[in-house]
Amino acid sequence: MDRRQHIVTAFDRDLETIEALLARMGGLVEAAVVDAIRALETRDEDLAEAVRRGDKAIDALEEQIDIETARLIALRAPTASDLRYVLATMKIAAALERCGDYAKNLARRSTVLAQMPAIDGASGSIRRMGDAVRLQMKNALDAFIQRDLELAEQVRLGDHDVDQMYNTLFREFLTHMMEDPRNITACMHLHFIAKNIERMGDHITGIAEQVIYLITGNLPDDERPKADHTALAAGDHTQEGAWQSP
Amino acid sequence: MYDMGMAQSVAAEAAGKVSARGVQVFYGTTHALRDVDIDIADRAVTAFIGPSGCGKSTFLRCLNRMNDTIPGCRVLGDIRLDGEDIHDPRVDPVQLRARVGMVFQKPNPFPKSIYDNVAYGPRIHGLARSRADMDVVVEKSLRRAALWNDVRDRLHDAGTGLSGGQQQRLCIARAIATSPEVLLMDEPCSALDPIATAQIEELIHELADQFSVVIVTHSMQQASRVSQHTAFFHLGELVEYGDTETVFTNPVDPRTENYITGRIG
Repeated sequence: MDRRQHIVTAFDRDLETIEALLARMGGLVEAAVVDAIRALETRDEDLAEAVRRGDKAIDALEEQIDIETARLIALRAPTASDLRYVLATMKIAAALERCGDYAKNLARRSTVLAQMPAIDGASGSIRRMGDAVRLQMKNALDAFIQRDLELAEQVRLGDHDVDQMYNTLFREFLTHMMEDPRNITACMHLHFIAKNIERMGDHITGIAEQVIYLITGNLPDDERPKADHTALAAGDHTQEGAWQSP
Repeated sequence: MYDMGMAQSVAAEAAGKVSARGVQVFYGTTHALRDVDIDIADRAVTAFIGPSGCGKSTFLRCLNRMNDTIPGCRVLGDIRLDGEDIHDPRVDPVQLRARVGMVFQKPNPFPKSIYDNVAYGPRIHGLARSRADMDVVVEKSLRRAALWNDVRDRLHDAGTGLSGGQQQRLCIARAIATSPEVLLMDEPCSALDPIATAQIEELIHELADQFSVVIVTHSMQQASRVSQHTAFFHLGELVEYGDTETVFTNPVDPRTENYITGRIG
């Protein structure tokens, strides 16, 4: 991809403004994910509260990116790689905003969980999954900033691991709930947390796909390997009648 | 039978209304156009874009042999209209220009009445047998050029008294009065305001139902708005030719990318 300067230098400045906003937004979302998971693990309610409050700044940045991109489209009529850049930026900002929402939801649930007895090994497993997603997010954003096609492809395929971690957690929580119904409330919250992290992984895959589109002009069309089989797994368990209506 | 007909028309379209092979143009010793190969589709709009002096207007003028009138200009290579060599000695350039009409950058109505501007072509080509016939041709052409309603009550006023946009539409009416098969437009909107430009663009859309339209434009937005195919010329070379959508979202050649995104190339 050509990153030569425009003849109209104001065009470059506009693009740089948008890129800086997106980089800042990415940084905030990454930090929110890390903090939300740490708040869960350390039962730090103040940190969880800070994550919840921090989501406003993320939302505001998304809005600002929307305004700046709309302005760029209206005033500069971008074409080719510039057009793809603007489109990709809008979609990436939307994906990051969703990830921010998940982090906020995670923080809210961690405040509830802090009032309950801990589930053995759960927060460690969640943290490992969160670390994996955070690394994926960092790589996706690096791929965007550096226009690194290889890294973007790697992120796209890497979601498989996150899905598998989620499968494992799903079974773990089922086991805990079957062992002792008093675990159900906490496990349900933990399960939503795991699901939220898994959804973040999907949005990050979407970001990687936008980076691929930005660089090559084409969205990847081959099916990526998926490993979230819990929709099928549920059928087996309902037959046992162990957990019918949550 | 019907299917055969369809297949043939698709094949004819694939070969192009106009096809050029190895076209070279020299102005004296200046090599203005190098080895251009292109097939221009029928009933579609093709835009030629590129920086000044890239050869796009030169190539446009090859298509109706307007370059013949420029002293010191030599055109080599093969250009065919419906498979017919336009440089064949049996081809009369005047007849060719009736089939391949042209509209220029600046509106250039003849210093005659609106009616006579439009009637001029059909008259010299003997396309209307009677005054009534001619009235029909004039009205039809002015209607297709979206000018009829503006001028129906003053057909015998001077064409030069119209506004710029109207004059350009008058020139288009004049160009289509001989029912050409191809309409060449050399920056037809560069002297017009945005409203008149929009009217001409709307007209180009309609004309493309009947003719093959080729437009040279410096406005990338105009090229992307009106055309289905875009050709990018640079330093006398045809760099890239493809679907307008592809050229404007994902061009293949970096020179095209740099030009359309306004980068220093």
